[in-house]
Amino acid sequence: MRCAGQNVVVTGGSRGIGRAIVDAFAAEGARVMTCGRGARPDDLTETVGWVQADMANPADVERLRAETEVAFGPASVLVNNAGVQVEKSVTDSSDADWDLVIGANCRGVFNACRAFLPGMGEESMGGGAIVNIGSISGNAADPGMALYNASKAFVHGLTRSIAVDHGPAVRCNAVSPGWIMTGMADAAFALAGDPDAAKADALARHPVRRFGAPQDIAKAVLWLASDDAAFVTGQCFTVDGGLTAATPLQPGLF
Amino acid sequence: MTGRLEGKTAFVTGGAGGIGRAICTRFASEGARVVAADLAPWDDPPEGVRAVSYDVTSEDAARDAMERIATHWGQLDVLVNAAGIEIEHSIEETTLEAWNRIFAINVTGTFLTSKHALPLLRKSSAASVINFGSYDGFIADPGLAAYCATKGAVHALTRAMACDHGPEGIRVNAICPGYVDTPMLQSFFEGDGSGGGGGTIESLQKAVRDVHPTRTYGKPEDVANLALWLASDEARYASGQLWVLDGGLTAQVQQMRL
Repeated sequence: MRCAGQNVVVTGGSRGIGRAIVDAFAAEGARVMTCGRGARPDDLTETVGWVQADMANPADVERLRAETEVAFGPASVLVNNAGVQVEKSVTDSSDADWDLVIGANCRGVFNACRAFLPGMGEESMGGGAIVNIGSISGNAADPGMALYNASKAFVHGLTRSIAVDHGPAVRCNAVSPGWIMTGMADAAFALAGDPDAAKADALARHPVRRFGAPQDIAKAVLWLASDDAAFVTGQCFTVDGGLTAATPLQPGLF
Repeated sequence: MTGRLEGKTAFVTGGAGGIGRAICTRFASEGARVVAADLAPWDDPPEGVRAVSYDVTSEDAARDAMERIATHWGQLDVLVNAAGIEIEHSIEETTLEAWNRIFAINVTGTFLTSKHALPLLRKSSAASVINFGSYDGFIADPGLAAYCATKGAVHALTRAMACDHGPEGIRVNAICPGYVDTPMLQSFFEGDGSGGGGGTIESLQKAVRDVHPTRTYGKPEDVANLALWLASDEARYASGQLWVLDGGLTAQVQQMRL
């Protein structure tokens, strides 16, 4: 059991990448607490704790911290996965869009780090680790996703700051997923004129010729949280099947 | 009006190529004295530009060229390492001979000319070296393996030179162009390229333009404008950097056909 003894908090664990991270930690023997804005999902593994919480709200985050402490003591691993996506340019974005995206993706990550960092990684517990979920869109722009792109660049920047300010007790890294087949990605294809053609085109741009699965991200997160990554901190790791290693020209053009 | 490079001397390798010509012309129009060095020298250079025959792979040629500059000018203010070639192959299709040739021109050429220019650059009050990287030094175009590798090497060399020679008053930067309308790009359009996707040259050109946020690819003059700034004293604080000039091409995540 690679994660035995770890006390893990994963935000946004109701579905998608977050759920895969929860399941991976639980399967490797960690005690896991997760949260979401809705009620506890019926299919969540029994041993995994659930707190209904909106990460944008500091009071909710404090409750998540307190309930984690009651359930199994201080967290040694924090995975900031909760996030939302709004598909708009700057001029199309409303104040409500700003509050939603920046609230969840930026303030939520900040809230959680501020709540969980004190005491994390003290000698009695061994080292602490924070793993943030960034995005390839934090490095280069996805069209029509202005606030989302910017929010993920914030996550990358905060990752480095935490690594610098809170080492050696805590290591902090980010995983930047590419196209992972979740509800979010399916919704993007559904918007296409010809969803099948769009999917085939997108596949052709992946050197590994498949899209990511939530489990691909979970494996990277598990590694970063483990002692195998003891010398790794302050970095953002792209896990995208090679998508952003290639130029953006259409495959088969030449 | 005084030019922005008034009184400066410049040596441009690949000076007869698409981008090299634009740089030489712009530098001369801003008052610099320019040597356009190329394997096949420019036959009708504009006023202020002197065309010479130059092989970037030859150390003797580098030594000889710098001796001449020492004799005529006594110092060198701007060195532009613009000579470069492209090979459109994956590594499996690349012969050792072709690999060595592209490295000799793109990497060793930059090394040799810079090495022998350094004593003259030190004599300048504000020297600037401009290397040519590429966006392909950051991310890969399919079927351009050796080219991508040479440009990555130039990027690292640029930073190393900036570190080593900054204290001597020499700034070193690299320009990393995306698609620029040059003879090299035309041969890329005309060649079988990396996938044999078919289509006319016009349809390829349109497709390439359309993938750029600016909906156009660059002109050699665009690159020359950046080179002018990097060569000038306005850029006195700019060093060790890789300046991507690509119409926004690499600012975007892959453009899916949605």
